[in-house]
Amino acid sequence: MRIAVCMKAVVEPEARIELSAAGELQRSELRYELNEYDLYAVEEAIRANEAHDAEVTVVSLGTEDVVQSLRKGLAMGATNAVHIKTDDDLADSAASAAVLAEALRARQPDLVLAGVESDDLGGSQVGVLLAERLGYNCATMTIGVEIPGPDAKEVKVRRELEGGNYLDIEVALPAVLTIQTGINEPRYPTLKGIMASKRKELVEMTPAELGFGQLPAARVETVELSYPPPRELARMLEGGPDEMVAELLRLLREEEKVL
Amino acid sequence: MSVEIWCIAEHRGGVLDADTLQLLGAARKLGGTAVAVVCAADPAPLAEQLSTSADKVIALRHEALSDFTPGGYAQAIAPLARERQPGAILMLHSHFLGRDLGPLLASRLETGLISDCTELGWDEGLVGWRLVYRRKLLAKQKAAGAPPHMATCQRGAFMPAEASDSPGEIENLEAAIEADSLGWKVLGFEEAEVGDEDITEAEVIVVGGRGVGDQETFDSMRELTKLLGGALASTRPVVDQGWADRGLQIGSSGKTVRPRLYIGMGVSGAIQHVVGMRESDVIVAVNKDARAPIFEYADYGMVADLKEILQRLVEQLREMRG
Repeated sequence: MRIAVCMKAVVEPEARIELSAAGELQRSELRYELNEYDLYAVEEAIRANEAHDAEVTVVSLGTEDVVQSLRKGLAMGATNAVHIKTDDDLADSAASAAVLAEALRARQPDLVLAGVESDDLGGSQVGVLLAERLGYNCATMTIGVEIPGPDAKEVKVRRELEGGNYLDIEVALPAVLTIQTGINEPRYPTLKGIMASKRKELVEMTPAELGFGQLPAARVETVELSYPPPRELARMLEGGPDEMVAELLRLLREEEKVL
Repeated sequence: MSVEIWCIAEHRGGVLDADTLQLLGAARKLGGTAVAVVCAADPAPLAEQLSTSADKVIALRHEALSDFTPGGYAQAIAPLARERQPGAILMLHSHFLGRDLGPLLASRLETGLISDCTELGWDEGLVGWRLVYRRKLLAKQKAAGAPPHMATCQRGAFMPAEASDSPGEIENLEAAIEADSLGWKVLGFEEAEVGDEDITEAEVIVVGGRGVGDQETFDSMRELTKLLGGALASTRPVVDQGWADRGLQIGSSGKTVRPRLYIGMGVSGAIQHVVGMRESDVIVAVNKDARAPIFEYADYGMVADLKEILQRLVEQLREMRG
């Protein structure tokens, strides 16, 4: 069984995001890390590797910023890695899916896993668009996967719905599943894993090598970035912890009358 | 006649998801004819219900539409959308339907989909506004290529369409669907677990977020909930860490609560959590990061170490109660 995991390097969740006077994102100030949702996808793939001897390829598209994420995937236990090198982030889901599809086509994975969405842009489209490009089935919001064996023809998938409900489905392989956080407990790379990862294959390729003379046109363009209109902030309590708590309890009792 | 805006109805087990009416509201706000599109094995009751709020209803019927499957819905809607060229197609950015169907339908129609919009408009085509980089920026995005352009709408972002005195006309159509291209087979549903204490019933809720840091601190919050006669609840990361049961989770993939008093400890205010608590009467937030978005929803805020606040709340409440 062959499994591919799509990973994205995202802007650090805690980053301070600044716009230039021209309204452009100040990218040089930003640092990137592995998208948290993808971490769960990698873990799920490595568990399949342990249970069914599946080959796990981690794939990422982007600048040198993604290499660290691929190395982390290898250190966690992925078999090999593919870095599709671009000069800039590909912000468009359709363009990203088109390039990823060509990189994966030759490998013919039985299962492709990816995080439900990216932490920074959160479009939650690439997995579905990738599946459609490859002619694979697809399910999003996966919170459980049962792979019956190494030669499985289908997998059982538990999807997380809103309100704490679940939908159980059967999906015929090959398929793309987008993975929700909490499906497993991602392992930390061990020192042994980190050492072993240095000997693992990390293939670099370019969109041109995949047949893209130029990158596919964006289906969605960002025409403007701005700061969201400020909302009215809470009444902030001042002083040390003792004073803040005393004032809070007074407010809740005397003004709000909820105590 | 104004341009048609198709709103894909979300329903499960014969029950309409009421947020579908928000799509119709968004369509009206865009100045279009609000068309509800309902796919089902027996769409008649849903179509009738939708007709009271929609200008028009398209009811697509086929046996294979008895359950939502992305392939089934896409096969039903795509050929009709190609033929009739509506101005835009909207659906909810929902776990159940929108996340699978949205990109799939956009792909089949070779058009752009703007995800999770909080506002929509026109600018030589459909434009949508959405929050990115953890809500630190607002992006105005435009769908490229030929219409129909598509968008998924954030739940709660648009006012629902009001019912009209003259119900919209219902058009009944038989969909053509290849049953072996549905994408998946539905095995069953499992409804939410209620847990030992039902947090949706509590008048006071103390909520631990990622900032509580460990199991011990989360558990220690029970003392405060006891003193307040309330319930302990959590955000998703706390459940993912295994510190709290899933039945205690507030937010889009958990419970929606409306207590008289909500106290958030180490809750950052991610939108997935906020949608489940923003209707609470009085909201108190404690976070060590003054920039945490939760302070935009709170009535009272404290930038502080939550352990210090927790300890003093317990002490002073004990004193107060004698």
